[in-house]
Amino acid sequence: MALLELRNLSINYGPIRAVDAASIVVDSNEVVAIIGANGAGKSSLLKGIAGLIDPSGGEICFNGSDISQLSAHKRVQMGIALSPEGRQVFPDQSVRDNLVLGAYARRLAKSELERELDEQFEMFPRLRERADQLAMTLSGGEQQMLAIARALMAKPKLLLLDEPSLGLAPLIVKDVFRIVRELHDKHIAILIVEQMANLALKIAHRGYVIETGRITTSGTGEELLRDPAIRAAYLGAAKSVA
Amino acid sequence: MLAPYIQAMLSGLAVGGIYALIALSFSITFTTTNTLNFSQGEFVSFGAFVGITVLLFMSGATSLSAIPLSASGGLNYPIVLTVAGVLSGLIGIVIFVAAVRPFTGKPGMSWVMSTIGFGILLQNVGLLVWGPAPANLPAPLGDNVIRVLGAGVRPQELLDLSAAVVIMIAYDLLMRKSRVGKAMRAVAHSPQTASLMGINVQAMMIGAYAASSALAGIAGVLIAPVSTASLFMGLGFALKAFAGAIIGGLSNARGCIFGGFALGVIESYVGLWQAQWREIAVFVLIIIVLAVKPNGLFGARLVEKV
Ligand SMILES: Nc1ncnc2c1ncn2[C@@H]1O[C@H](COP(=O)(O)OP(=O)(O)O)[C@@H](O)[C@H]1O
Ligand SMILES: [Mg+2]
Repeated sequence: MALLELRNLSINYGPIRAVDAASIVVDSNEVVAIIGANGAGKSSLLKGIAGLIDPSGGEICFNGSDISQLSAHKRVQMGIALSPEGRQVFPDQSVRDNLVLGAYARRLAKSELERELDEQFEMFPRLRERADQLAMTLSGGEQQMLAIARALMAKPKLLLLDEPSLGLAPLIVKDVFRIVRELHDKHIAILIVEQMANLALKIAHRGYVIETGRITTSGTGEELLRDPAIRAAYLGAAKSVA
Repeated sequence: MLAPYIQAMLSGLAVGGIYALIALSFSITFTTTNTLNFSQGEFVSFGAFVGITVLLFMSGATSLSAIPLSASGGLNYPIVLTVAGVLSGLIGIVIFVAAVRPFTGKPGMSWVMSTIGFGILLQNVGLLVWGPAPANLPAPLGDNVIRVLGAGVRPQELLDLSAAVVIMIAYDLLMRKSRVGKAMRAVAHSPQTASLMGINVQAMMIGAYAASSALAGIAGVLIAPVSTASLFMGLGFALKAFAGAIIGGLSNARGCIFGGFALGVIESYVGLWQAQWREIAVFVLIIIVLAVKPNGLFGARLVEKV
């Protein structure tokens, strides 16, 4: 049984249809990439899965049950965490408090919370150094790490990553993707959305291409990387950084 | 020779503390829900009359005007504060659910009219229950003027000041140190992102309205012994407090507290000089502050780094 299954999911902003009858499957312990140009509907899709936007049609099944009517905070409790586009860390709170908020719904005992903070600090040593600094003092790359670590504090079964490379220097992008690979080794399913398709497809088992709200192509990461049309549209200018 | 100035300072700080409490109550709903309760003044009056009614029952008096001066003694006054706070908080939940929530997150400012309307309703219910006559809430520490550095102040003024300071420090600590406080600040920054943390944003907003209204009710109980309670007294306090919040910056709780205190003290000193200039001074001050800093003195919004 698939961990996440979208059946003909549609999302509208008033008359604008941002996602048009998209059907997507993510199995447990699978990394799936969604690639598409700016404005194709990638963020809307992830927001729909996370519960930030009500779908205008279709179903979202998670672990076998339809969650499309649940509010966002309930979906977090079920095991879906989103690291949103633009990172959206809480700028006026410390790095540590941002992480603590990530585990808000789990009501951890103090010792357990400390242990899990430590786990994140192991994976993101830069965050440990800056634990007591306000999140707004972090660099863009550090904020991205914080956003991912914060999402992981919810102990998700499915991690949604919205353009984790956006606005970051190539070297830092490489770092982010190294971490995504590590996460996969920890048995978390990942749905990653990227404009820079090259790296995403390299680490993904499977991928989907979204164009103006519609899923137009799907296949394994390698298949998509080889597809000439996709190379022309999404990989043309991108040089390999990995 | 300095005594009048010290006296003006103390009573300015006392009434400023009340302004600060109410200013804070405006800030709480503004930051979490982007709305303001424009019937906050009615909640102040309501809190005072709930307090007086509780004293009526506890003292066994037969009418509001027959409450003995000693009625607020002992634990009675803290009990009155608690009951008024809790009841006002509960009505705050009602106003949020009935008059604010239907309009949150939607364009337009329908909540301005609906909260004003709710206030009119609350005031009329109050008039039905208590009548239009002013009533006295006996001061818990009596009315004998005490001397501080040669200046005469009433014990209630010092009590108001200390209570306001204690409540505000407690609030500040709660917001900065507790789990719920951190979640509240997350909601204030971005309800959407907060919901991604598993925070129940609706529940937080209800809590914000309850806390805000409770503060207004408590402010009413604190100020009533100094200024004689009437169902119309709240509006003036709420207007001044709102002015203080604007001066300090509605989006910044500490700024609002500062603005409330500043307004109380300035008003008091202007009154010392020319009583009739007090109100005008307040509004001149607002205009100057807003001309220089449109978001209030401390209301600058955080800029996010990319
Ligand atoms: N809040 C919104 N209101 C109206 N239209 C929106 C909103 N957010 C996104 N859109 C529109 O929906 C479409 C998809 O946007 P988005 O999901 O952000 O794309 P992507 O993440 O792929 O760049 C775009 O046409 C965009 O203009
Ligand atoms: Mg996007």
